[in-house]
Amino acid sequence: MAQTSLSHPTAPVSLEAAPALPTKRDALLSLGARCSLPVILLLAVGFVAPLIAIFAYSFAKPRTFEVFRSFTLVNYAEIFNGSNTVWLSFLWSLGFAFATCALLALIAYPIAYGLNRVFGKWSSLVSILFVFPLFVSENVRLYGWVLFFIKNGVLDGTLKMLGFEGGPQILFQPPMILAGMLYVYLPFMLFPMTLGLAMVPRDLIDAARDLGANRWQIWREVELPLAMPGILIGMLLTFVLGIGAVAEAKILGGQSVIVISHDIEIAFTYSQNWPLGSALAVVVTIFIGALTLAVFSRLDLDRLLGRR
Amino acid sequence: MTISRRSVLKGMAAGGLAMAGGPFAMTGSAFAAREKELNILCWEGYNSAQVLDPFRKKTGATVKAESLTNDPTMINRLRAGETNVWDLINVNNPWARKVMWPEKLIKPLPKDEFEPFFAKMLPMFKWPYKWAMSDDGKELLGSIQRFGPYSFVVNTKKIDRKTAETTGWDLFNDPKLSGKYGILESDDWNVFNIFLVAGIDPFKVHTPEELAKFEETAKKVFKGAKLIGDIATMNQALVSGEIDLHLTGGTYSVSAARADGYPELRGITPLKGPLPGGKGGVSWIEVTSTVNNPNPTPLAVEFLKYVQAPDVAHTVAFAEGTFNPVAQMGNPECFKLFTKKELEAIQWDSLDEEMDRSVEYDIVPDYDKALDLMNAAKRVRG
Repeated sequence: MAQTSLSHPTAPVSLEAAPALPTKRDALLSLGARCSLPVILLLAVGFVAPLIAIFAYSFAKPRTFEVFRSFTLVNYAEIFNGSNTVWLSFLWSLGFAFATCALLALIAYPIAYGLNRVFGKWSSLVSILFVFPLFVSENVRLYGWVLFFIKNGVLDGTLKMLGFEGGPQILFQPPMILAGMLYVYLPFMLFPMTLGLAMVPRDLIDAARDLGANRWQIWREVELPLAMPGILIGMLLTFVLGIGAVAEAKILGGQSVIVISHDIEIAFTYSQNWPLGSALAVVVTIFIGALTLAVFSRLDLDRLLGRR
Repeated sequence: MTISRRSVLKGMAAGGLAMAGGPFAMTGSAFAAREKELNILCWEGYNSAQVLDPFRKKTGATVKAESLTNDPTMINRLRAGETNVWDLINVNNPWARKVMWPEKLIKPLPKDEFEPFFAKMLPMFKWPYKWAMSDDGKELLGSIQRFGPYSFVVNTKKIDRKTAETTGWDLFNDPKLSGKYGILESDDWNVFNIFLVAGIDPFKVHTPEELAKFEETAKKVFKGAKLIGDIATMNQALVSGEIDLHLTGGTYSVSAARADGYPELRGITPLKGPLPGGKGGVSWIEVTSTVNNPNPTPLAVEFLKYVQAPDVAHTVAFAEGTFNPVAQMGNPECFKLFTKKELEAIQWDSLDEEMDRSVEYDIVPDYDKALDLMNAAKRVRG
């Protein structure tokens, strides 16, 4: 009885269990709503409130803390002012994010394919090897690369010791930032993509082959479209993370370029211009939000989650 | 405490900060007894277990400390309403006297209890020490401990000390050194130092021509930098030979590397420069003040007294991360605790003359304008 009631709260099976009249409280909140209340509250406090604070700050007078007490569009005007070079930072971030996303799609696809179809019993081990770096702080890993590539560091020093001229001097330049981002964000592309490829039924590939499709056709017309939700989620994750990336530009790039997150950080710290930093954050958030919505509108989550 | 619209809004601001991740948000309740609680906002060092654990043991108190690496952020945390969170604030010299006291963010210390400590400090901190006192000289606004000269750092194996001191800031105008220097990520100090490289006194109101010169210099200096990074990155780059010198630095930044066996790395104070009296360098002196917390804890004053003890002052000087001279070295009981190696690490041999050649850190009146110009210069370096 209890089980039945829990499974079908709106369809009581016995008169005893059913209330004679719905109470006022029941009318206000369903059982589901009541159960989700703690999570809703947690999200409201931990997720929505800071966003509201940032949004409100973006309309406050520059270099003040007059949030909710002043209203001005000056911060946005400042960002879109032609003489402000902050667009350079935005372009760098955008460029790095697009490049990371595109290159990781190319790099991760063969690995994801291997994890699903080739590596067999070794797949778990390979997966763990890709997950393992995530247990170490990103900054520590990036500093590790600095020690590896720095002049007279691990690579350069070892090569010199072996009688060679020394390693390439690639640190503190924009390509190294991209390399760092590819390294850091690979798992975020790889695992959704692996999941996407795992969703492709083997039978469909066999059927396509039986019907005379060649390898290219099978990949292009069966495998890729069916794996696309996973690929898109991987691309979305890496793009969103990439546009907010700052550690790679600071540590590996030696701030050879300033990315947009760094500009936001400067506004909140040395500049102490929280309203401008907030306006920048809002512009970036709207951009990422619009992109996310555009991608998700093309995604069939039900199919991705295997519900049909 | 009266509740006004302003105080409510300040509370909301503090609440917003707390929601955004303020770690001690729940510790500042205005109604809880705070006999056994102390929250410190400081530069790194005072937040180390070496300094805090003995105090925790001695008092049985819950002591929390958050370290930040620039003064404006700390001051603005108080301005945004966090005076009900913090008990002590540890920042550089001008802020207590020129900003925090006039804005009632801090409160005075009992002079009779602290004057004896000043008597035991190095002579340069003789009572009444300017930066510890209010403008009118009536109130004691903070206690003094760490200090040091802070201009730039060179690898003396690449550029000898005499050349560096004589050439001074013009090293960064030398095209031959382009690509061979780094810049410490410490933007408030970088503003001072770009002015100095441009031959302009930073601590005054600047004309449009001077700001134009600043902008031009900032673009040139940032364009020529091999890298910008934190202290660890600068020391690593100096040790590896990636750079020969870096802008913004001194005992505070280089002492850890010197203690690690690289005495060739050295903080340099130029012999002359565009500062008043022809001085070439800038120094800093930390002033630690009691925050004007509506629900104060007696442990704030007790902690300030605790760090004056010779052994604790020595621990503060060599707290993890950065090693610095302390004012308490004027007390022979404290000084004798410093080993020869430790004195070498903090450049004790030249400390007095370097402090003499430096003016004390001050507030740049048009800092915001200069910082915006410098940030723009950074963006175009890529």
